[in-house]
Amino acid sequence: MSDASAHALDNHEPVTSTGIPNKKVLMWAFLGSDCMFFGTLISTHLIYRKISATVGGNFLDIRDVFDIELTSFSTFILLASSLFMALAVSAIHKGNLSSTRLMLFGTIIFGTIFLACQVYEFTHFVHAPGNELTLSTYRGEPHVFGSTFYVLTGTHGTHVAIGVFWLLGWLAYSFTGKMSTAHALDVEICGLYWHFVDIVWIIIFPVVYLMEYAL
Amino acid sequence: MSGHSEDPVAEESKRFFTFFNLSMILVAITGIEIVIIYVQTFESASIIGILFATSITKFCGVIWWFMHLRWDKFLNTVLFLMGLVIALGTYFAVIYMADAHPVVEKFEVSKIENSWKPDHEYKSNDVVLENGVYYQTKSDRKSGKSFQPKNWEKLDSIPHLVSYHITGGADMIEINSKNPENPYFLLSHPDGEEEIVESTVALLAADATAADFRLKVRSEAFWTEAQ
Repeated sequence: MSDASAHALDNHEPVTSTGIPNKKVLMWAFLGSDCMFFGTLISTHLIYRKISATVGGNFLDIRDVFDIELTSFSTFILLASSLFMALAVSAIHKGNLSSTRLMLFGTIIFGTIFLACQVYEFTHFVHAPGNELTLSTYRGEPHVFGSTFYVLTGTHGTHVAIGVFWLLGWLAYSFTGKMSTAHALDVEICGLYWHFVDIVWIIIFPVVYLMEYAL
Repeated sequence: MSGHSEDPVAEESKRFFTFFNLSMILVAITGIEIVIIYVQTFESASIIGILFATSITKFCGVIWWFMHLRWDKFLNTVLFLMGLVIALGTYFAVIYMADAHPVVEKFEVSKIENSWKPDHEYKSNDVVLENGVYYQTKSDRKSGKSFQPKNWEKLDSIPHLVSYHITGGADMIEINSKNPENPYFLLSHPDGEEEIVESTVALLAADATAADFRLKVRSEAFWTEAQ
């Protein structure tokens, strides 16, 4: 059992017959269902990517639009945010409030940088001269790539945004003076969500972006 | 499994180094992925294989250590894996159901300029050119020593041979003329054979080549066009 679960038992958090706190079981069940959700979106993208390989009779080369340097930078940023999140959970377990606050702040900053990169990326794609990629067209021709790409990466971005707001809530709460190790489980659950967002990107980055350069 | 120690603070201090080392490993693996793509030394299949391996490694690293499954009860792992297995099952099912991409290997349209030949076996709908006029048979017949117009039907249009070779299977083939003044439309529904080699006679108002037509091939969800 993790320390958060031990704290939960100490703090009389409701637990299931398995000895795992209800909140944690709920979060893991949610993450399992979210796996299915992203699995469907990634499958849809890959299938339609294969079906619609051409635009106006020419082979689609999405590398003309992708900015792999920017996306690689975003990936490193999200990985770094995961380290901050893990350290925030570790700090709250140890009862180190100032460290918890600092690590939460770091996670929020890195998450916000990731979102800013995604907003820049989407704007750049839609307005790329001669290679405009919109929801329904590519280079002005009807194409499905934009639909599946924006829905997949946009849904991930929405998850990141929700995570940032959740973390902001905890950061604000840490200044009320009420935060203690009793909240370790809650912060750990927030951390589970954040790490999940990270692992989804770990799949999206090679499958959606890097694979285009390998094919 | 239980990793809960007597001293949670000491345990968390140990985890700090675990988290830091893991983070560095994840960054290094991501760097390797990007370098592999930039260098392009390997074949596509090898690169995809490497990307899958590195992604799975990073995925496992994050869920095992960052998400505490290493120290949590096994039930959490089971709950998560259930969703993951269904997601993977969905992916492979969709990939399996998706048909292969049909490929138009050849698409040709050429004017028929076969002259009439004596003592030749002609089949129904065969076309010949005699004295600048096109004729077509309506039944199988063997020609005599000289051309007999009464045995043939005179054509007012120009016959063209439309031939195509498609691999990868198809359940619908559509040929459209791009020129409204020289209309032509053909729709056929093959049985889904892997290789389709067909030719047909098209009676057109004017001379045309393959560039004047659009060939669309459908195989389940896949559409391929040759223009």
